[in-house]
Order: sequence, then C-alpha cells, then structure tokens
Amino acid sequence: MDLTIAILVTVVGASTPILIAALGELVVERSGVLNLGVEGMMLLGAIAGFVVQFHTGNHYLALLCGAAAGMAASLIFGFLTLSLSANQTATGLALTIFGTGFSALAGASYSARPVALMSPIFPDLATHPVLRVLFGYSFPAYFALFMVFAIWFFLKKTRAGLILRAVGENDLSAHSIGYSVIQVRYFAVMFGGAMAGVAGACFPLTLTPQWAEGMTAGRGWIAVALVVFASWRPFRLLGGAYLFGLVMTMELYAKAGGGPLSAIPSELWAALPYIATIAVLVLISLRRDASTNAPACLGKPFMPSN
Amino acid sequence: MPNRLELTGITKQFPGVLANDHVSFAVKPGEIHALLGENGAGKSTLVKMIYGIMQPDAGEIRWNGEPVVVANPKAARKLGIGMVFQHFSLFEALTVLENIALGMDAKIPSRELESRIREVMETYGLALDPHRTVATLSVGERQRIEIVRALLLNPQLLIMDEPTSVLTPQEVEQLFTVLRKLAAEGCSILYISHKLHEIKALCDTATILRGGKLVDTCDPKQETSRSMAEKMIGAGLKDIVKAEGRTFGPPKLVVNKLSTIKTGHFDVAVDNVSFTVRAGEILGVAGVAGNGQNALLDALSGELIGDDREAITIDGFGIGLMNTTERRRRGLCAVPEERNGHAAVGDFSLSDNSVLTARDRLGMVVLGLINSGAAKTYTGKVIADFAVKALGPASTAGSLSGGNLQKYIMGREILQKPTVLVVSQPTWGVDAGAAAAIHQALVDLAAAGSAIVVISQDLDELRALCDTLAVINMGRLSAARPVKEFSVEEIGLLMGGVHGSMETA
Amino acid sequence: MMRFRLEKRPEPSKLMLYGTPVAAVVLTMILGCLLFSAIGYNGLRAVQEIFFTPLTNPYKWQDLGIKAAPLIIIGTGLSVAYRANVWNIGAEGQYIIGALAATSIALLTWGMSGWWILPLMAIAGMLGGMAYASIPAFLKTRLNVNEILTSLMLTYASVQLIYYLIRGPWKDPMGIGFPQSRLFSEAARLPNIIPGTIVHLGVPIAVIVALIAWFVMSKTVFGYRMRVVGAAPHAARYGGFSENKTIWLAMLVSGGLAGLAGMLEVAGPFQRMVPGFPTNYGFTAIIVAFLGRLNPLGVIVAGVVLAITFVGGQVAQTTIGLPDEATGIFQAMMLFLLLAGDILVRYRIRRISPEASAGAA
Repeated sequence: MDLTIAILVTVVGASTPILIAALGELVVERSGVLNLGVEGMMLLGAIAGFVVQFHTGNHYLALLCGAAAGMAASLIFGFLTLSLSANQTATGLALTIFGTGFSALAGASYSARPVALMSPIFPDLATHPVLRVLFGYSFPAYFALFMVFAIWFFLKKTRAGLILRAVGENDLSAHSIGYSVIQVRYFAVMFGGAMAGVAGACFPLTLTPQWAEGMTAGRGWIAVALVVFASWRPFRLLGGAYLFGLVMTMELYAKAGGGPLSAIPSELWAALPYIATIAVLVLISLRRDASTNAPACLGKPFMPSN
Repeated sequence: MPNRLELTGITKQFPGVLANDHVSFAVKPGEIHALLGENGAGKSTLVKMIYGIMQPDAGEIRWNGEPVVVANPKAARKLGIGMVFQHFSLFEALTVLENIALGMDAKIPSRELESRIREVMETYGLALDPHRTVATLSVGERQRIEIVRALLLNPQLLIMDEPTSVLTPQEVEQLFTVLRKLAAEGCSILYISHKLHEIKALCDTATILRGGKLVDTCDPKQETSRSMAEKMIGAGLKDIVKAEGRTFGPPKLVVNKLSTIKTGHFDVAVDNVSFTVRAGEILGVAGVAGNGQNALLDALSGELIGDDREAITIDGFGIGLMNTTERRRRGLCAVPEERNGHAAVGDFSLSDNSVLTARDRLGMVVLGLINSGAAKTYTGKVIADFAVKALGPASTAGSLSGGNLQKYIMGREILQKPTVLVVSQPTWGVDAGAAAAIHQALVDLAAAGSAIVVISQDLDELRALCDTLAVINMGRLSAARPVKEFSVEEIGLLMGGVHGSMETA
Repeated sequence: MMRFRLEKRPEPSKLMLYGTPVAAVVLTMILGCLLFSAIGYNGLRAVQEIFFTPLTNPYKWQDLGIKAAPLIIIGTGLSVAYRANVWNIGAEGQYIIGALAATSIALLTWGMSGWWILPLMAIAGMLGGMAYASIPAFLKTRLNVNEILTSLMLTYASVQLIYYLIRGPWKDPMGIGFPQSRLFSEAARLPNIIPGTIVHLGVPIAVIVALIAWFVMSKTVFGYRMRVVGAAPHAARYGGFSENKTIWLAMLVSGGLAGLAGMLEVAGPFQRMVPGFPTNYGFTAIIVAFLGRLNPLGVIVAGVVLAITFVGGQVAQTTIGLPDEATGIFQAMMLFLLLAGDILVRYRIRRISPEASAGAA
C-alpha cells in the first residue's frame, strides 16, 4: 500500500512537465502548426526558471520567467514559419538545437549549484500517508490538471476555440471567411511556447533541484509523440502522460521490489521511455481512426493565393 | 432608388497580369445580375474585391449610393453582402452548426442559432441536419450550408460564384427557385458563371468580362447563347472537326467488373464497373464531382492497383495487376484531373516533367541513367506541336499558366501515341482557344486508332466530344450508349442516382 | 512611408538558392558578434577565432578535415533523404549503431591482422546504420508512424546501448575500471594518409561519397525518384514511383552513410568505444544538409563550414574563454537565418511607394 502510494506520487510528479508541454503542443497543432522545437523551448524554460529561482528564491516568479523564455523562443519559430513561411519541420529542429546550445551556454556557470524544490501547496495533507496521493503535490501538478480541463473547454465550448480549430482544419477557408490565420497561429504558437517553458522550468523546480545540461532528456519529444497518441484530445493526453510517468519511474520500484525485475540493467530502464514512445505510436497507428482526428492543415504553411 | 451596388473604374494589377481594367457596372435592388466570362477573365478577382478579400488598386465601390471601402469580408457582411464560394469555405471535420457559427460575426448562442437556421431552411426549402459533420455530406448539401450561412445575415446582395458546377440539372432547378424567391424579396444577386443557358434562364442583366475588361452589359434574354459566347471569347467559335460516319475498330480497352477499395475516409470507390472502348472511339464518363471519378482514373492509370489481372485488358492482355509504369509500356497513358502536383511537378522543368511519364516509352533511360538530351528534344516537340507558351524545355511547370500547362500535359501523353488514353477534366480551367486545341488533338488521336476515355463534369464538353457516354454515380457506371441517344434530362437523372438502364446493364 | 510586399517569382531564383546560405553565414557572424558582445564577451574576437582562425592557421587544417569528414558523409545521406521528404533525424543513432557494429568486428578480430578487417568493419558499420534506420522505415511504410519521432527516440535508446556494452560485455579488462572498450588492434585502426598528421582515410572517403551522391542524384533515375517523391508525392505515384519503396531507399541510404561515418570515427580518431563517443555529428549534419541546399556538392562546402565552427569554437575556448556551447548557438543561428532567407528563393521583396499607387488611381 505504501509503495503503491509512493509510486503514484512519483508518477504524477514525473509526468507533470510532459503533460504541460504536450498540452501546449496540442493547442499549437490544433491550429495547424507543427512545432518540433518543444525540447528546445523546454530547455530554455528550464534554465530561465533555474536562474530566476537561484537568484530570487521565488518559485512562482521562476515559473513565470520559464514561460516567458519559452514564449520568446516560440516567437522566433513563429516569425520564421508564419511570417516567412519557412519549413516547420526544419525550423522546429533548429529551435531545439538553438535551445540546447543557448541553455548550455547560459547555464555553464550554474552547474552543480542546488536550489530548493517547490513545496506542496497543502503542506498538512502532503505528509498524510494516503491523502498525499491527492494533495501531496506542488503547484505545477494542479496547474497541469486545471489546464487539461481548461483547454478541453476552450476548444470545445468557446468561439475562440472553434476559430482555432477551424484555422487548423482549413486555413484557406478560414481566411476567406475573414479570420486572420496568421494571427490565430501566432497566439497558438506563443501559448505552446509558454507552456513548454513552464514545463521545462518544472525540471529544476520540482524534480531535480539543480541545473544540468540537456536536463529535459528528450521529454519534449515525448510530449510531441503524446499529442499524436492522444489523437489531439486533452483528456487522452492526461492518461498518456501519467502512463509515461509510470514508465519513467518504474526502475525505482523494480529495484526496490527485488525479484527478477531488479536484474534488468539500468541502461535498459533508461532507454525504456523512448522505446515505450515508439510502442505507443505503433499502438495508436493500429487504430482504424488513427489519423482522422489530425488537424488537416498540420505542418503545412499557409499560402493564400493573394 | 439608388443602385444596390455600383462599381466605377475598378482596376486590379497582379504581377504580370492586369486582372481588372477599369471595370464599371451597377446592380439594381432585386436584380439577378450575371457576371459572365471565361476562366481567367477576372470575374473572381472582381467579386473578391466586392467581398473585401482583396482591395482594388483603383476605382470606386458605391453601396446603396454611398461610396464605401470594403476592408475585409467582415465589413462586407456588415454592409449586407453575402457570398457563396465556388470552392466551399467549409471545415470538413466540424458540424454544420459549427461551420455556420464560424461564418457569423456576432456571437450567437448555439441554441438560438440553430433555431434561426431551421427557420431559414424552412422558408427556402433547404433541408439539412445541423448536427451532421460536413465530411459526411454531399456536394449539393454542402452548398446549402453556404447558402444558409449567407441568408442568415439577411443580405441585400448575394454573390454566387459558379454555383452550379457541382450540381445535377435537377439540383440546379431547385437552386434557381431559391434565388428567384430571394430576388422577389428584394435581394440582389450577382451570379457568376460561364454557362450561357443558365444565365438566359435566370438572369435579368449580364455583364460580360474578357481579359479583365468589361465587354458589354446586356439583357441575356435578348441575346442568343452564341452571341454571348462570342462576346465572352472574343473570336468566332471553332467547332470540333470530326469526320462524319466514323466506324470503330476492335475493342482496345475492356474493363470487366472493376472495383476499388475505399482509400480515404470520404472517397468514393469504384463499384463493379464494366465498359469497352474500341479503336477510334471516345467514351465520355459524366457525373457530379465526387462520385468515384478519381478512383476510376486511378484504377485505370495504375495508381490504384486491384487484385484482378483481367479486370482491365488492353488488346486482350490483362493489366489489372500492373503499376503505372508497366501500364504505360503496354500503351495506356492517363492524365489526372489535378495538373499541378499530380500530372506535373511545379518545381521541375518541363524537360524533367517529360521524364515523369515518357521515360520508358521514348527511351529516355539507359541503364538507370537519364538521357536528358532525349527528354529535352521530346519536350521541345511537345511545346511546338501543342503551341505551349513557355520559354523552353527548361522553364518550370509551375511558371506556366493553367491552360498552357494543360496543353503541355496533354501533348506529353498524346505524342507518346498511346493505345489507350484516359483523361480527366481535360479542359477544366482552360481558356476556349486552348480547350478547342485540346479537343481537336483528342479527336485526331482517336482518328489514328487509339481508344480514349474522357471523364468530365462538363456535359457540354462531353456531348460535343464523345461518341459514347456513360454516367457515374456513387462509384457505379451506367451502361455506355451512343451520345446522341441521351437527352440532357436522362443524363441528369442518371447523375442524380436514378438508375434506369443500370439495373438491366 | 515606404511599404514592402512579397511578390511570387515566376521561377525560383537560382541566385537566391545558392546566395542565401552564404548570406546566412555572413549574417551569423554579424549577429553572433553582437550577441556575444551583449553578454560580455569580446564579440569581434569570438567571430574571428571561430570563423577565421581555423582557416588562417595551417595547424588547424587537419582538424578541419577530420571534423568535416563525418559531417559530410552523414550530411550527404541526409540530403538524399530530405530531398525525398523523408525526415530521418535519427542519424546520430544510426551513426552510433554503425560504430557499435564496427566495434564488434574490431573486438572479434582483436589481435588478428589482415587487410580485410577494415573493409569488414566498414560493411558492418553500414549494415548497422541501415538496420537501425530500417526500424523507422518499417514503421512508416507499414503503419504510417511518424519517422521523425521514431528515429529520434531510437537515438536516445542507442546511447544507452553504448553505456550498457562498455560497462558490461565489452568492458576493457585493462581499463582500470573505466567504462570503455579495448583499444583496437592495429589492423582495425584507420591508417593516416598524410604522415605526421591526424588526417585519416575517412577524409578522402567523405569527398568521394559526396561526389558519387551528386552524380546519382542529378543523373540517374534513382535521384529523379528521390526528387520527384519529395517535390510532389502524388505526381511521383502517377509517374510510377512507389512512395514506400522510396522511403525505404531514403532511410537505408541515409542510415547506411551515417553508419559508415560511425565506423570511420570509431576506427579513426577514437580507436575504441568510449562513453563520450556520441558527439552530435548526426544532429549537426542536419544543419550541414540544409546549409548545403540538399545538394551533395553543397554539403561538402557546408561540412567544412560547420567543421570550422567546431574547430574555431575550441580555439575560442582556449584563447578568449568562450564556452564550448557557443558553437552550438552559432550553428543554430546559421540554420535559422538560412530558413528565414528561404522565402527569397520563391518571392521577391518589392517596395511600393505611396506615390506609385496614388498615381495609378
């Protein structure tokens, strides 16, 4: 029982950044834009969050600055792909390369300097042996859950969400009715950048209390994959992210539990999230309606004839 | 009463082409006004400026007597201008209701919107289920969404851009009833078309454009179709020269119980289709867009490969399992409907585009190496023989106008002297001169002994060009009969899915 | 007030196609100078050390050669794949698996001698890279799984495979606990081609590979297939080129060349498998492929340019204390600027002065 609770708590913690980043990417993709720079934006968010926390000690300010860093990076992507119609795949890759390099440079003097992790928002319940499953987390975990609902509501129930989906579905039609495709996509891209930035900041603020080069370790890419896995639906994303959290933390409990699982080499455990990502992509592709929910304009530049 | 809409000296310049050159005309309240012209005459550009999608470089628009600047479509709708596009601006994955909500500028609670939609549908006899996903609707139903969307705004002017190109003759009649009712209530209608008989039947006034300039504003009921056509085209019409009393040779292409698998979610597959085309014969396949024409072309060309070798035979040899390259070697060439990106690669030179389909039949490849000299020579011949306006074999396909690219593509296939040629929409979006040249080339190819299949939505084209005709509906093909035996009404019924002869075929 | 507008060119501009990469490099120097000045370094010195010292200092030329070789080989393979719109971004993983396959031969033949060992290692390297690339190819063609994500995930997994092998089965018995493989025997090490330098056989091989690829891409049906599938997949099918077969070919070529680069790297500069073997050549080669305009001849030039930034980055680290990571920023900036300039290939900027439009009215 105790172990189960402990597992669940760790799983939620590990999956929160992936969930936040994936929610942002989901909105971006629903508007018809494929931003493969999530990993890079996360790293920029991580270093910005770390540096601000290191100097001010304010976790919320750190998260906010992480969001700002991610958003700033997403504006580079937006300018290239939306204003200059550059190839989205290549620009996303460039953004990841840039984010990796820039965060490494900015963080070079901060390595191995510890900061304080965010504390749970319900300190009294966080130590309760059972209730901590529900109340044992710091702010980002609840923020992620709230955003799942908020984004679902936005896409499904609001007019702005309808317009965003319309732009992702058929940009030329949206343009001819009179919506500004580029403007809608800029907003989506910036939102996605901010979410990726927050997600990145979660790494030094809630998981490992220090800066390490490339510390997001491909989680941004897993977030992109999860959006596909979730068929672009927010609530499926929630399930997918927690599933990944489980995969990522399994090693701890396999080791703790002893038995045959503890004989598996740690390198295999480390590789497992990536292999699992491929596995879920394969699984989802086996569904008959696999790609029918994909936004029709995903990844295609907007080219009005005039 | 002032004119509903008055244009004075409207001019729009695009790189290399003057799309509208000082165009002036007026639309009265309650008038059905035709805007007539060939593809490329500048009709679409003009209405885009009226609807605020583009801005004129010069000229004035007056609305109910007042000069206005229509900054964007929203402003147009605010004035009371509604528009139904030729290519529907619909969102397939969204519902009818969501689609209509997107077209409304004011935020209306969806319940209220739905009741207003039902009201409009009732008034004008337009049946639709607001909760269906657009992807599941027929083309005619999709058009109804656009019309309902426009009518919800109580427009004073409704612009209809080529509304009938996707409808059966019966659906066209229904549409005309709606439009006449609207006009009687005082709504002006700007009706864009190049179909003369429709304009004669529906419109009070016709403004004719040619090459961006206004040629004439006339009363279509006082004109003959021929006189309007000549104003539209600018020169005397050329008729297709077809030898009288032609006889056909032995069967060349025999299709026997050909079916395809549905590839996409919303595509229509070919269902148990059989027909025979003889040497020298041109078979026309009529039908409303989206009834399996694309699948039929792909199945014949080899882009879709079936599982029955004998379902398609050329001169008795089964080619049903071959890919496009092997079928071309056997003598079957095909031209799909979409020119840019399917029949040709826009970024490639014409020479490279010739390699795409002619490399095997004309020996442009030796041991895996491309003989670019041979490709260039052949391309030069196509350009010369088909009067393609291009700088030379090195120009990119994308730099050619639609009509010239189509001439090049048709020439590229015809000069390979195929045993069987299958073409889809051979003159879609092509000016009359080029269309006549393409038609003549097809007739000449048939006269030389090839079997030809023409898939088209243009009944006038099929009736003028073909020897025999069959109609495709929901992937099923009616029995082919000599074209002279069909009346327009009968074709219309077959297009709408009323299978008379099909059951017995 | 001046206004600008973009106007579509009738034909893509050749000048811009090859001019924008040069402009991107020059602009990177200018912006990099400003950026590094802004964050407190001597920007001008940084640019000088990174971009010019490797060229002016003959001692650095050999470094350029051995850095450029893997970039050119991988970049060539990627340029072929990207031409066909096959987004293999897991070249780093295929490079690693190729190197591991070659290492396995080197370890199996350890202590032996013979001319056949190196060719065998090269073949193993290529097969390893191909095999690893065939996973995304299989998943893409059979199940339509996005190759970007799968090839990248496999890269992360391949790094763990190195760690496992050199900590476990391949661990050097003489390594005093270091996780690394044995030093390869003489016969499994690439010979130096210029005595007294570190220039190994991989350098001429890289140039030859790129030249062959250029010929194949521009003169053969194989190259035509790649180009047409990338430019217009629908038209390719109409022309008789199966998309699935093309994806396989693109993946195998790019994976095989990445594997070859891995073999040359492990048998050349490294001469053993170590945890630090993955040096991101597979990712940098993506920039090389784009900067070289997906043209193998351009890839040669771009490979040298990127090698300059690597070598120059090390120079700047020792001379002005610029952190090593600065190199990555210069490289990413180059790619950003190149992508930003892409629009000029198809569009031109027209200045519209208000007088002109007023005059037309």
